[in-house]
Amino acid sequence: MLRAPKFELATPTSLGEAIALLAEAGPSGMVIAGGTDLMPNLKHELFTPSLVVSLARIPELHGIRRATDGSLVIGAMSSLESIAENALVREQAPALAQAASLIAGPQLRSMGTLGGNVLLDTRCQWYNQTYFWREALGFCLKKDGSKYHVVEGGAKCVAAASNDSAPALMTLDAELGFESAAGRRSVRIEEFWLADGIFNKRHAQGEILVELTIPKTPAGHRGAYGKLRERGSIDFPLLGVAARLDVDDQGTVSRADLVVTALAARPHRVTKAGELLVGTRPGDPQGELAAEFRARLAELARLAHKQCHPLENIPGDAAWRKAMVPVYVRRTFEAAARRAGPVHHL
Amino acid sequence: MAARDIHGPAPPWGDEFRVVGKPTRKLDGLAKATGAAIYTDDIQLPGMLHAKTLRSTQAHARIRSIDTRAARALKGVHGVITGADLPIRYGVIPWTQDENALAVDKVRFIGDPVAAVAAVDEDTANAALKLIRVEYEPLHAYFDPREAAARHDPAIHEGRKEGNVSKHVRLEFGPVDELAAAADVVLEDEYSFHGSTHAPIEPHCAVATCSADGLLTVWSATQITHYVHRALAQVLEHPPQKIRVIQPCLGGAFGGKSDPFSLEFCVAKLAMLTGRPVKMLYTREEVFYAHRGRHPMSLKYRTAAGRDGRITSVDAKILIDGGSYSSFGLVTTYYAGQLLTGPYDFPSYRFDSTRVFTNKPPCGPKRGHGSVQPRFAFEVQLDQLAEKLELDPIELRRRNFQGERTRTVNGQRITSNGFLACLDQVERASGWKSKRGQMPFGRGVGVAGSMYISGTNYPVYPNKMPQAGVQLKVDRSGLVTVFTGGNDIGQGSNSMCAMIVAEELGVPLEHVRVVAADTDLCPVDLGAYSSRVTFMVGNATIDACRKLRSQIVSAVARVWQCAPERVRLMPGVVIDLEDPARSLSTAAAFQCAEEHFDTLGSTGSYNTPTLGGDYRGGTIGASPAYSFTAHVVEASVDTETGRITVHDVWCAHDCGRALNPMLVAGQIEGSVYMGIAEALLEEHRVNRLGLHAGPSLLDYRLPTSVDTPELHALIVESLDPEGPYGAKEAGEGPLHSSIPALSNAIFDAVGIRMKHLPFTPGRVLELLGEKSEREARARGGVETGGRV
Amino acid sequence: MRLLRLRVNGDVVPVAAPSHWTLLEVLRYRLGLTGSKQGCDKGDCGACTVLLDKKPVLSCLTLAALAEGHEVTTIEGLTPAHLRAGGRGADPIQDAFDRCGALQCGFCQPGMMLSARALLAKNPRPTRPEIQAALAGNLCRCTGYTQILEAVELAVAESGGAAVQPADGRRGARGAS
Repeated sequence: MLRAPKFELATPTSLGEAIALLAEAGPSGMVIAGGTDLMPNLKHELFTPSLVVSLARIPELHGIRRATDGSLVIGAMSSLESIAENALVREQAPALAQAASLIAGPQLRSMGTLGGNVLLDTRCQWYNQTYFWREALGFCLKKDGSKYHVVEGGAKCVAAASNDSAPALMTLDAELGFESAAGRRSVRIEEFWLADGIFNKRHAQGEILVELTIPKTPAGHRGAYGKLRERGSIDFPLLGVAARLDVDDQGTVSRADLVVTALAARPHRVTKAGELLVGTRPGDPQGELAAEFRARLAELARLAHKQCHPLENIPGDAAWRKAMVPVYVRRTFEAAARRAGPVHHL
Repeated sequence: MAARDIHGPAPPWGDEFRVVGKPTRKLDGLAKATGAAIYTDDIQLPGMLHAKTLRSTQAHARIRSIDTRAARALKGVHGVITGADLPIRYGVIPWTQDENALAVDKVRFIGDPVAAVAAVDEDTANAALKLIRVEYEPLHAYFDPREAAARHDPAIHEGRKEGNVSKHVRLEFGPVDELAAAADVVLEDEYSFHGSTHAPIEPHCAVATCSADGLLTVWSATQITHYVHRALAQVLEHPPQKIRVIQPCLGGAFGGKSDPFSLEFCVAKLAMLTGRPVKMLYTREEVFYAHRGRHPMSLKYRTAAGRDGRITSVDAKILIDGGSYSSFGLVTTYYAGQLLTGPYDFPSYRFDSTRVFTNKPPCGPKRGHGSVQPRFAFEVQLDQLAEKLELDPIELRRRNFQGERTRTVNGQRITSNGFLACLDQVERASGWKSKRGQMPFGRGVGVAGSMYISGTNYPVYPNKMPQAGVQLKVDRSGLVTVFTGGNDIGQGSNSMCAMIVAEELGVPLEHVRVVAADTDLCPVDLGAYSSRVTFMVGNATIDACRKLRSQIVSAVARVWQCAPERVRLMPGVVIDLEDPARSLSTAAAFQCAEEHFDTLGSTGSYNTPTLGGDYRGGTIGASPAYSFTAHVVEASVDTETGRITVHDVWCAHDCGRALNPMLVAGQIEGSVYMGIAEALLEEHRVNRLGLHAGPSLLDYRLPTSVDTPELHALIVESLDPEGPYGAKEAGEGPLHSSIPALSNAIFDAVGIRMKHLPFTPGRVLELLGEKSEREARARGGVETGGRV
Repeated sequence: MRLLRLRVNGDVVPVAAPSHWTLLEVLRYRLGLTGSKQGCDKGDCGACTVLLDKKPVLSCLTLAALAEGHEVTTIEGLTPAHLRAGGRGADPIQDAFDRCGALQCGFCQPGMMLSARALLAKNPRPTRPEIQAALAGNLCRCTGYTQILEAVELAVAESGGAAVQPADGRRGARGAS
């Protein structure tokens, strides 16, 4: 069987203990949460840590609660299954619940954590392979090599952000709370990403993601997530679309947001969403959506199509992924408007 | 063929079957359900070493040197071998033995085995692999079969006068061109079929141990114990009398475990060298390199027909991408043409098929070996013909039905043929008449038909001995043990044997045990391939039972002093038909027979009749019986995303008699699932650098339970005169026409012809785009009064 | 090397294993519980599914040491638990899989049956789409899933004491207990 390289495992029972272990280990230490991303990556020898620190036994990292200001606070070790099923999350952050429900398959959702999905390594067909395969390739820019393979003559790693939760969390203005030897740090998820496939996050060595905070969403908040993938289960996204529509009590859109992912190294916000949709009235969620809303949405879908340039980074037909951007943008917003979703081919 | 090879379709006792024909649990079902069943990797022997394979990082290269010194010096390493240790070639087909267990002088694809290490554990073996230094001299690598066919230097296999052509077959029957020239309609088109692989969930695994006196025992996840036995003897130069090969419980094969594989030789050699048991378990990635999957093919077909839809001439030209070794390729090249000549009758036929080597993992026999690809092309072409002639596609197929007890244009004998009943069943069950052409745009139905062999009369090495042998051993308790070389690969062949024994000897099913696929214990059977097991092992089992039965009956008749005809073996009891008061328990009857005849036991065997056309290659594809299949697929197309959803598949399969309908239904459903999977999701391919594009079960996408359509298995029973109780095959035939039926359903749904596999959404969108452009041009033409 | 105390199928078992070993490796190669299968190396096929506190997890991605403190159920544990609870014969899910022909090669089925067990623990009366969704992390290459779905439905129906309608006379050894 494909085997993980040797390492030592620590199972601290407090955050302080974990931070101290990581600080001591330095670059040779890694964190394991659910293990669903790290373990395959270890077996592929993409990482060869000498110490792996498990977060499983740290109580502070667990639990989903509503804070006094109404915001939603989610422990980073909350399982994806619990995110998908939790009533608070479904009510306040439907796009996140929907995204979590479509990640991988049932077992991986019961093992995988929200924190782990946020911190998921970028993915690429030239990278997520065994050591043997990568050796036969001559390795790549992201790991062990200097060659670029996605586009001949390219120079920059374009491994794709493949975490379904990220775009949903961006539309929800989530804040990530980290703790490290240097103390506590909070970062808006919008500012967390880097456009670099090699390492696409502002995440320092030794920092532990403790919790995610989602500010209270208004009563008329509607959100949806759309996921393009080949199978109805297990697969990573070929395209992920998170849509947000806040509708005031007059039935008018007061806020709209669109983030797409799985195309490039970081999730991409289509900034014109607000400009185009705010002020429109989607119409009756049960009946026909309003013509003007649909026209604006079509314009937004066209714009998103123009802005997205998927490459052959992850397996899957890049031209088809591009062609699906407007379709999924439109369908995901329609689902949001109807308080429906997720948008998925099944 | 001896008379004993034909037993007729009737029940052995009276008018009814007591066991056969009823849905019945499998012999090993609960062992599998409870985790007790032992598969190869479940075997752990004391002191066992773990072996790993070093593989080529080059697609095509000469090996300049291999330095294993550092690996040998590593603590915990017990053995390191290279091609120099196993220089003798092998290959499942005796005439094309071009494989080495480990590369000798050359490597031919990325993943070709180069060296093997046995160590105390897998980690140590892996560490040792990284210490082996191989110096390669790269050669031009071929990834395009067209280039390989045209260019011979460098040759992938040197010293062959055909260059990179692995096999070429051209056969012609009847006046092909004359009839085409005279036909009312001629259709000519090109199609292509991509590569796919078996992907059994169990990876290949082998364990070997060699005793101090040289008895080598190899457990392997194989579907061909007998050929592995022969190949081991040949390559290891070890006497076959001192080799025992055992197939433990097997976790799926589908043709992917029907060659001898590198790991079997490596563990054997390493066990002999180290004096320790050795296990090698392939990683999933290595399973993709072992491959032997579906050959990619480019196919051209020209079909000619009369206005009435009767086919008069078929002409095929096929280019087959074989990958790096021959494997079963000689047979593949024949099958690509030979197996198209039913269920339709046509008076003339030509095929010209060429298999070429390329620097990719070797192709071989995947479920429906060699004939799934041509069937796809031809059945789509028949749909095009129906369209052109404005005929219902089912009607077109009915009009061309070849009939029963007939001979095909290429000289194959057809016995039973339930194809018309298959068509009737799918037509009725699917609601075809109210659906075809009548559903909203985007949803459609399609039909296709096919045939397949129930074994072949041609053993892979020429010999006149039986193709299947069975031995029965009887216990005084009433227990019967069946010894068969047949490989139960999950299809349930052991259960099939037990059911036959229970039927014939009147013992309860739970009093039959089966010992299978152990070369020390079981008579030879050639293995689980070409859908031969039910037909051949089933007949051999009946043969053995009848010999034993006559002993039991005559012993009891002697004791009862009555005519043997009056003695009947019933479940658990032997009765006198004319004196109901007189009976014996089965155990007592066995004891009675043992008193009269000494220790009881019997052997049975099966051999095929002489079959096939009288020409070179005429016996390849000749089968004692053919199965027939029809599919109707209902599918819809999302014209915005290009995504195809298969809603329902109705598959009617003529399997002769269904010995265990539950297992037959499982074979039909599994076949249809696999066909739809390779049409829509799966693709086995190498990238521009020769690397496998996704050697994992994440990137090679098997459908999950939510991706699989509703499958409707419809069993058609055209009792075959020569099959066991009339049975034929059920494991491969039902895959074939699922794929063209899907293509034809897409045409009915949205009017585009899917002629190239796989049917990806991108390709659907492309064709839909072309179609609407054509229609716009046509409309524009009408409006401007221009050309129509 | 660590000394682990794992709770497996109701027993506490001490077992020594290196830190980087997965639960699957410890179950198969240290404890001899070979019913959990290895199919894909890295979490893509579901054959290694076991239950951790009644939830389905992939043992090939679970470090053995992280299973400490949880109740591990493998396929070998189902029937003994059924017998302990006063049942007869095999666990009803295992029995239903056998009766419906869901076990062709049988290799993926231990994981499949444990996923089904986890579903029924949470939702004793699932619909067919719910069953399909719960099993969507377990690949089967033999059956096309039909007989598997039928088996779960059979177990569900019988657990509620409902009479089971045979799908049709040709299918399933449903009466043949």
